[in-house]
Amino acid sequence: MTKGVLLFALNNLNIDYVKQAIYCAKKIKKHLNLPVVLATDNVDYVLNKYPFYKKYIDDIVKLNFYETTQTRRFRDGTMSERNLTWKNHQRASAYEISPFDETIVMDTDFIVGNNILLNAFDTDDDFLIYRHIEDLNQDRPDEHRFNKISDRGPDMYWATVFYFKKTDFTKSFFDLVEHIRDNWHFYRLIYQIPQSNFRNDYAFSIAIHIFNGFQRTNWPKMLPGKLWLTSDADVLIKTDKDNEHYVFLLDKKDWPGHYTLGAIESANVHIMNKFSLDRHIDEVFSNE
Amino acid sequence: MSKGFCLLAQNNEKTDYVRQAYALALSLHKYNTGQKISLITNDKVPDEWQGPFDKIIYIPWSDDAQDEDWKIQNRWKVYHASPYDETIVLEADMLILSDITHWWDELGKRELFFTSNVRTYRDELVTNRFYRKTFDANNLPNLYSALHYFKKGDKAKEFYNLLEVIVNNWQLFYGKYAPNEYQKWCSMDVSCALASKIIGNELDITDPNSYITFTHMKTRLQGWHQVPERWTNVIGRYYKKDGSLLLGNYIQKGILHYVEDMFLSEEIIEKLKDGTVY
Repeated sequence: MTKGVLLFALNNLNIDYVKQAIYCAKKIKKHLNLPVVLATDNVDYVLNKYPFYKKYIDDIVKLNFYETTQTRRFRDGTMSERNLTWKNHQRASAYEISPFDETIVMDTDFIVGNNILLNAFDTDDDFLIYRHIEDLNQDRPDEHRFNKISDRGPDMYWATVFYFKKTDFTKSFFDLVEHIRDNWHFYRLIYQIPQSNFRNDYAFSIAIHIFNGFQRTNWPKMLPGKLWLTSDADVLIKTDKDNEHYVFLLDKKDWPGHYTLGAIESANVHIMNKFSLDRHIDEVFSNE
Repeated sequence: MSKGFCLLAQNNEKTDYVRQAYALALSLHKYNTGQKISLITNDKVPDEWQGPFDKIIYIPWSDDAQDEDWKIQNRWKVYHASPYDETIVLEADMLILSDITHWWDELGKRELFFTSNVRTYRDELVTNRFYRKTFDANNLPNLYSALHYFKKGDKAKEFYNLLEVIVNNWQLFYGKYAPNEYQKWCSMDVSCALASKIIGNELDITDPNSYITFTHMKTRLQGWHQVPERWTNVIGRYYKKDGSLLLGNYIQKGILHYVEDMFLSEEIIEKLKDGTVY
């Protein structure tokens, strides 16, 4: 049984997901020691811009062009934001794209800080995902915001990182996720999701709800460990201890531009502020 | 030992509770075989609605709710009117949406049982206490009378005898035993809770971990941030071809306490009638 990690990187004008992916792969190699495959729509960019990529990325899969016009706001703390293209549609095709029998798919801004995720390969389950996040910012207690996909909708699952085995069962599941993606505006109306943008978290959550027969069950099981989250209102400002200790400015609730210092170490962290992550990666890659 | 469901329904100017009772009886037979259900009412029951009922029984003695809009004053009489040795008492604005016949075995272990946990349409435990301020302020047993069970015998009779006294003198009892967050109207939930508190039988008649429960559709219980006036305005409801009912994309099982009469459309009644044998 082959095992590995699949990353998706589709750049827009301001965010270099390829750079993030290589950094993410570096962390994967260090903590999980797994093969990493990068799926991207611009292979030439990887080869030319990051010739050292082979140290961390084992193979590249070229993605076909997927036309999208959807944009979303990307913040860099609470005082800076940009509206940029958001190309996130191809993750639903992870089943077809992955060359592995067992795959962990993760966001490129998900930074692996320990080897807990390796335990996913030791379970009998075909599919594992996180149901809850741990917000590093304790001043943001609005748990409900992330608990359901909408006020009246089903439970929220986080497609930030998930594990699957290639089986008939997971094939059907990913077929359903693709179907939801391809009919997104129907499903978002049925599930009362106000945002028009396609979001993988929602598509996976709806697919899970449907697969469960429109009720709550104990499927799917949770990935091992915790999914720590910092939002794009928080700012990554420095790292210590061989880039395993992350220090953030955490957004103060109802006080834009003011922050609380917070840090986390040896944890798996989703860093949603892409700009501050990018600045950090530049420092790390200056020695590559 | 005879077993059956029983409900008391009295129409008022706004709501046809007998129609609700008819739908409930249909739903019982649709998903459960060999069950009996009796309706206690003084209202006229149309011939075409009588079929699902085992017995239609007049309210014993006089109608104590004759001049009331919210007619709960006769509810304590269900113990005396029920034709069964063991009775599951339901409110009219409920539907039974799956096979619950195994509940009899569980309930048969008790003399009296009240649900003390209810669920949302998403099958989550209700934790909201908006409608339970009097209970919390006076440390009352968290009973829901909309679904309860009794076995005819001394213990149940003692309870219902006290319930009769409380309902008939509710201001006195509420003032003495539930003075905090004083409720200015008589309700069966508070009255039953007081009866239990006075007798001291809470541990015998309820279990917050029991699977005997129902889905309670009062809007503030649903865990919504934006609470609408009516749930029927904000979530979809539809039947699948296999006969299962979905609310807000959640399949409904067990007992649904739909609360809002407008939910009970003719379409739903037709679906309940379709293929139902009684």
